[in-house]
Amino acid sequence: MGKVFKLALMGTAVALFAWGCSKEKPETDPQPQTAPEAPADSTLNLDALVADTLDADSLARLEAERLEAERARLEELINRIMLEDVYFDYDRSELTENAKRLLAQVAEILVNENRFIVTVEGHTDARGTEDYNISLGARRSTVVREFLIAYGVDANRLVSVSYGKERPKVQGTDETAYSKNRRAHFRVSIDQ
Amino acid sequence: MNKIKLLFVFVAMALAAPAFAAIDTIAVDVGISVFQTMPIGVVPFEEEGTIKWTNEAPHLILTRDANLSGRFEAVNSDKFDLVLFSKKRARQYVTGTATKLSNGKIKLDCYLYAAETKDVLLGESYTVKPYDVRQAVHSFFDKVVYRLFGERGVASTKLAYVSKIDGVKQVVISDYDGFSRRQITRDSSINMMPVWQKGNKGLVYVNFRKQRPNLYAITFGGKETPLFTQFKQTFSPAVNPKTGELLFSVTEGAKTELYRGDMKTGSAQKFLHLKSNQVSPSWSPFASEVLFTSDRGGSPQVYAVGKDGTDVRRITYMGHYNERASWSPDGDRIVYTSMDDGKMNIYTCALDGTDIIQLTSNAGNNEHPTWSPDGKLIAFASDRGGNYQIYIMRKDGSGVTRITNGSENTSPTWSWFFDEKKVK
Repeated sequence: MGKVFKLALMGTAVALFAWGCSKEKPETDPQPQTAPEAPADSTLNLDALVADTLDADSLARLEAERLEAERARLEELINRIMLEDVYFDYDRSELTENAKRLLAQVAEILVNENRFIVTVEGHTDARGTEDYNISLGARRSTVVREFLIAYGVDANRLVSVSYGKERPKVQGTDETAYSKNRRAHFRVSIDQ
Repeated sequence: MNKIKLLFVFVAMALAAPAFAAIDTIAVDVGISVFQTMPIGVVPFEEEGTIKWTNEAPHLILTRDANLSGRFEAVNSDKFDLVLFSKKRARQYVTGTATKLSNGKIKLDCYLYAAETKDVLLGESYTVKPYDVRQAVHSFFDKVVYRLFGERGVASTKLAYVSKIDGVKQVVISDYDGFSRRQITRDSSINMMPVWQKGNKGLVYVNFRKQRPNLYAITFGGKETPLFTQFKQTFSPAVNPKTGELLFSVTEGAKTELYRGDMKTGSAQKFLHLKSNQVSPSWSPFASEVLFTSDRGGSPQVYAVGKDGTDVRRITYMGHYNERASWSPDGDRIVYTSMDDGKMNIYTCALDGTDIIQLTSNAGNNEHPTWSPDGKLIAFASDRGGNYQIYIMRKDGSGVTRITNGSENTSPTWSWFFDEKKVK
C-alpha cells in the first residue's frame, strides 16, 4: 500500500518535472521576438490594431503559461522535498551521514525558495509505548529542524511536530517496516 | 397497534444504546494464582413471563462478575443444591426472580443467601428497562462484595479505551467487562490516551486535529474543550485523584517535560526542573507522590518524585525500557510495561523497585496496564490473539480474560469508583 502510494507520488513528480521542462522552453523563446515588434508598429491602422490585440492576447497567454510553469516548478520542488524522508536508527534521534546529505539538498531548495513553509513530522516505529514515542518523534523532528536552521533556512518557516508511532509509512512488524517508519517527514505549504 | 408498540420499544432501546450493541467474547486462561478465591453459588433467576434478555440472563452476568472479580469463583447450579454447594465449599449463593411488567420494564429481585440456613443475607430490588438489566445486576453484585468483604467491588465501574473505527482511532467507553460499548469521540484525525476526570465526569484525551498532539476534555455527551492551548504539543495526561488537577507532558523543541495544570482555569506550571525528557505521569493513591518515565539514564526508566517536584528517585533498574508505570490503589506496588528484545510485557514491583514479578510472557505484546479501582485487577492491551484487544487479569497475572473483539482495541484506562461514598 505504502509502496504503491510512493510510486504514484514519484510518477507524479517525474511527470510534473518533464512537463515543467517542456513548458519552460517555448515560454522563453517567443517573448524576445514579440516584445520588440510591438512598439515598432506605431502608425494607426487596422492591421496594427489587430496586431495589438493579438499581442495583448498572446501576452496574457504567455503570462498564464509562465505562472503555470512556475507553479509546476514549485510543485515539483515540493514533491521532491516531501518524498525525501530522513531515516533514523532505533531509539535514536541523531542524524546519520545519509540523513545529513539528504537534508543538505532539502536545505538548498528551502534557502532559495523563501515562500515555503515546512512542517517537519517526527515518526517512530511501532515498538514501545505511545507516550515515549511521541517524545522520541519530537526529538527527531527538532534535530531535523535545527539542521535546516543551521544551514540558513529561516526558523520562522520551519515547524516541528511529533506523531509518535501513530502514522506508520509501512505496515509490518519486521525491521524492514520498522526502518521505514523511523523517519522525519516533510509537509510543505506555500506562503502566499 | 402492536407494531407501533414494537417500534417504540426499538426506539427506546436505540436511545439507551447510543453507539453500539454490546460485544462479548470471553476466553478464560486459568493461570496459577496465589489469590484466595471464595466459592459462591450462582442459581438462575426464576422468570415470571417470557423474558428476552438484551445480552445475558442475570445469573450469567453474576457468574462473569464473580469470576472476573478476583474475589470469587462461581459454582453454577441449575437449582439450589446444598450437596453441590457444600462439596465446592460455597457457603453463600446468589439468585433471584425476574418479572416482566406490562410497561416493558423488568423487575429484578436479587438475593444473597446463606447456603446452609437459607437466611437472606442481602436483598435488592430493581425495576429497569431491559437494556439496563446488566447495570442493575452489576450494582447488586457490588453490594454482595460489600456485604461479604466490607469493600467496594468494581462490577459497576467502566473502562475507557481506544478503538479503531473505520480505520480511525476513536475513544470509547464500556462497562468493565467490555459490554455496553459507546463511542465518545467522532473526530477523524487520531484520538488517543483517554483518562477519566475526577468523579468520572468526562474524559481527558489527546487529539491530532491540528496535526499535532493536543489535550482535550470531553463529556459523555460529546462536548469538547481544548485544554492548555498555550502549549503547542501536549499529551500523556494523568488526573490527580484528590484534586482533579492534571499532570501532562509538554513538548517544546526536542524537550518533553511534565507540567501540572488546572483544567478549569487553564493555568499550568512546570512540574519538574530536570534536564531529561519526562512522560507518563501517574499519581499515588493519595496524590502525595508521582511516578513518571525519564530518559535521564540514557533509556526510559521509571522514577518517583514528591508531589512538590522534589526528591526524585529511580525505581526501575532491570532492563533497558521500562515505561508507563501506574501506582496501585492499595499504594504498595506499581505496574509497568517493560520491553525486552522488541516485545512488551507487564511487570509489577515494590515501591523501591525490588520484588519484580513478570505478569505476562510468551503471548505477543502486552502493554498499557491500568488498575481496577479496588486494586485487585489489571486491564491491559495485548496482540496475543493476532490483533490488539483488551484483557483483564488478576494482579498476580492469573485469570486472563479477553473482554473486547473486532478491530483493534488499545490503551485501556479504568474509571474511578462511580460512587465516591461507600456502597450502602
